[in-house]
Amino acid sequence: MADPGVTPMSSEPAVALEVDGVHKSFRRGQETLPVLVDISLRVENGEFVSIVGPSGGGKSTLFHIVGGLLAADRGTVRVGGQDVAGRRGLIGYMPQQPALLPWRTIENNVVLAREITGEPRRRSRALAREWLAKAGLDGFASAYPHTLSGGMQQRVAFLRALLSDHELLLLDEPFSALDAILRVDMHRWLLDIWEENRRSILFITHNVEEALLLSSTVYVFTGRPATVLERVEVPFARPRPDEVVDDPEFVRLKRRLTHLLKHDPRQAR
Amino acid sequence: MAETSPGPRARRWVPPLVAIVLILAAWQLFTVLSGIDRWLLPSPADIVAAGGADRESLAGHTLATVRLTLLGFSAGVAIGLLVAVVLHVVPVLRAAVYPLLVVSQNIPTIALAPLLVVWLGFGVLPKVIVIVLVCFFPVAVATLDGLARTDPVTTNYLRMSGANRRQLFAKLEFPNALPAVFSGLKIAATYSVFGAIISEWLGSEQGIGRYMIIQKSAFRADRMFVSIAIVVLISLLIFGTVVLLERILVRGRPRRDAHE
Ligand SMILES: Nc1ncnc2c1ncn2[C@@H]1O[C@H](COP(=O)(O)OP(=O)(O)OP(=O)(O)O)[C@@H](O)[C@H]1O
Ligand SMILES: [Mg+2]
Repeated sequence: MADPGVTPMSSEPAVALEVDGVHKSFRRGQETLPVLVDISLRVENGEFVSIVGPSGGGKSTLFHIVGGLLAADRGTVRVGGQDVAGRRGLIGYMPQQPALLPWRTIENNVVLAREITGEPRRRSRALAREWLAKAGLDGFASAYPHTLSGGMQQRVAFLRALLSDHELLLLDEPFSALDAILRVDMHRWLLDIWEENRRSILFITHNVEEALLLSSTVYVFTGRPATVLERVEVPFARPRPDEVVDDPEFVRLKRRLTHLLKHDPRQAR
Repeated sequence: MAETSPGPRARRWVPPLVAIVLILAAWQLFTVLSGIDRWLLPSPADIVAAGGADRESLAGHTLATVRLTLLGFSAGVAIGLLVAVVLHVVPVLRAAVYPLLVVSQNIPTIALAPLLVVWLGFGVLPKVIVIVLVCFFPVAVATLDGLARTDPVTTNYLRMSGANRRQLFAKLEFPNALPAVFSGLKIAATYSVFGAIISEWLGSEQGIGRYMIIQKSAFRADRMFVSIAIVVLISLLIFGTVVLLERILVRGRPRRDAHE
């Protein structure tokens, strides 16, 4: 899997991710369960894009396809210009559950993604400690995951994805286990990191406000089978101040997205 | 109750030690007061004396048994681990063989010992094979179970991050299976000593099993007790080594919850 040609050099492709007309169904015995119907979306290089959609719609399934874990029934997925088609190891990924290795210390968990791409553990440790400190986890480098709270474990899983050397990060509800106050802190923190590094991020959330606050483009998905209900551009300049949530335009967009999610014409209630 | 107490480890060890001392004391007292014949039930003091008197011959027998046990145990564990890993990596093989392995666990493998002696004679080989057999099954089955019990979310994470089959095994499946492997090893540790003693009963020149047979014919209950004590000690020694290794190698999870 170690492909030396993966890192973009001079001819950097402008599009980090292109999903084009993806369909996916699961088999359940005799029945087929359609989960994704004609999904198309793109993430420009250095762009922060969110997907909001009802639970069970198929958002995580889309990530599994982009990550090469599942094959799409139809359509194409290109990561950094390359057709994915079952190729793995092209993305940094934060799963919906932290999925830390319980027998590894926090710092050894953080370096895991780098280790998989062939970076020796020792060489990544300093970097891990530096980022743990930035995530407010200074004292926990040599602790084991079960001694951390759910929110702390999510931050560790986030760092693990961030430190992987991939241009595109897939974040599957990274802050779902956090309380409202800590969530706001983490938004600030994530935005600071993102503004510094400008990685390309595709971000799944249930939280409309979170999506609007963080991203420049929001895709609203329907419930299962998921289709793209609407693509919304978020116009606010960056860096965005905390007060942006009180901006009338923000409030209007938030109301609109919430309405779209609630009144999804295809969602059985 | 919560006074400055010894460490939790010491607190765990003290009660059973006290119990053992009390039992030995009661035993000693009983033999003295009841005046029971020594050849029927020797007192602890008699047993210690008998052991001391025969120590040179005992040392030789003990060494032979320890050597045999360790040889069989390591071979059995190595083969058990190897077979488990191969079956795990080749799912078709696993599907065919795993049910047989589970069923064969219910067969007292030790009953094969006489047959092996008939086939292979009285040398070291049949004895080692008996021990390998009794150790192989628990290790192989426990390891296979542990390897299969990998969290699918974590597996997906590693695969999406680009882990190949070897990395998936080395970084996730094997460390995840370690607690299960150790529960298999603990069973194998105890079985290996049984296996050694029983195969020595069936015919050998050296070893604690052989010593027991001789003392049984001579009605030397005291010496039989000595050999039983030695068997227990060997057992504890191997078991203790396994537990120690487990302490060192199995890290970072709440003790006994995620597994077993
Ligand atoms: N491997 C699979 N086999 C069969 N069905 C699956 C599989 N993975 C997901 N599904 C089904 O596909 C649907 C979408 O699941 P998915 O996890 O993608 O939803 P989601 O949008 O991420 O939901 P949530 O917001 O709750 O995380 C669900 O009905 C789920 O049961
Ligand atoms: Mg999901």
